[in-house]
Amino acid sequence: MKQSVYGLVLFILLALPPVAGLMESLMIAHMHMQMPLLVASGFLMAKWGQIRFPRFWERWNANGVPGILLFAIVAVYWMLPRAMDEALAFPGMEAFKFVSLSLLCGMPLRDSWPKIGYAAKSAVIIGFTLLFAGMGLLYVIAPVQLCNNYLLLEQIALGWGFLTTAFCMVIFIIYHVFTRHSAYE
Amino acid sequence: MKSLRPNSLATLVVILFGIALFYWGTDGFTAYTAESARVNRLLDARPTFPQTTFEDSKGRSYSISEFEGKYVFVTFFYSACSTVCVQLEGNMGQVYEAIPAERHGQEIVFLSVSFDPDRDDPARLEEYRTFFDSDGETWRMARVPDRAELNRLLDEFGVIVIPDESGGFAHNSAFYLVDPAGTLIDVMDYTQPEEAANEVVRILGQKRGDGG
Repeated sequence: MKQSVYGLVLFILLALPPVAGLMESLMIAHMHMQMPLLVASGFLMAKWGQIRFPRFWERWNANGVPGILLFAIVAVYWMLPRAMDEALAFPGMEAFKFVSLSLLCGMPLRDSWPKIGYAAKSAVIIGFTLLFAGMGLLYVIAPVQLCNNYLLLEQIALGWGFLTTAFCMVIFIIYHVFTRHSAYE
Repeated sequence: MKSLRPNSLATLVVILFGIALFYWGTDGFTAYTAESARVNRLLDARPTFPQTTFEDSKGRSYSISEFEGKYVFVTFFYSACSTVCVQLEGNMGQVYEAIPAERHGQEIVFLSVSFDPDRDDPARLEEYRTFFDSDGETWRMARVPDRAELNRLLDEFGVIVIPDESGGFAHNSAFYLVDPAGTLIDVMDYTQPEEAANEVVRILGQKRGDGG
């Protein structure tokens, strides 16, 4: 229960106008700090949801697939250059960003992850690794400015952020594949 | 397995939600960047050219009514820009060349509008226009000295200009075509001058047909 409070505090902190303004002023902080932290806040708050509405999750997210799909869809949506621009341009989109990334992304991830099988977990991790690498290349190589609100240089920084993340995920995958897990379990 | 039915229903709902979210978020899978969305919105809205006073490279001042009855092919630039604007104005020159010369100034006027009025005074514009073989008559380069008017014009045409640290600007670029009544009727990709020229010739031809 305590962690749900932490999640809520994190969410409120992120929503404070000066904090939000500061994070959104840098493209890479907007996408690689603010957005993941919102997901994390939802992830923490999910505990409360699970305790309060256990039947709901059991019934509608029995095998974890709906939840993980919802997580992936919302996460991919916020990677569109346009979504990021519109969050800055329209207050409604900004509100939707906060609500969707915490409630529709972080929460279902928490509930689904232990439920889905090894194959589904691998698919999610590999899928996002490829997606991050692809987005990274797109932002680094694209000669044109994809976002109207950010400079080209910031776009390239974001691209390298994506590539670094993808690289770390590849290391994780290699580590995972080449360790004998039975020795530690 | 009795609980799997709501689960499947939830999966279906999530997938439908995903399709709806992406459909709505990309204007029916057509606009993945805010720039393409902006162009779509502009073409729907068709704003009219706001009241603006230009000062051109010859030091003349006039409003958009100077070009009444003619199409106006507009770009937005600043002369200190060393990247996009050079390509933008160069490609504008290609469109200018591709339009039959007898139509220049008669049916269509080319207008490059600077959004940096502090530096782009008439003398600077006079120098800059020669780089692109603009004649200063049928292809004019002008600034908008009044900040409020400039901002209004940029706003109406969806031009976003952000100053960067080195005294330049980041900005979006396109070819804009304004019809003889002063309405924005087309926004074209500035990297495709041939396509833009064909489009302009087609529109000019239509007008000829209508007018008899």
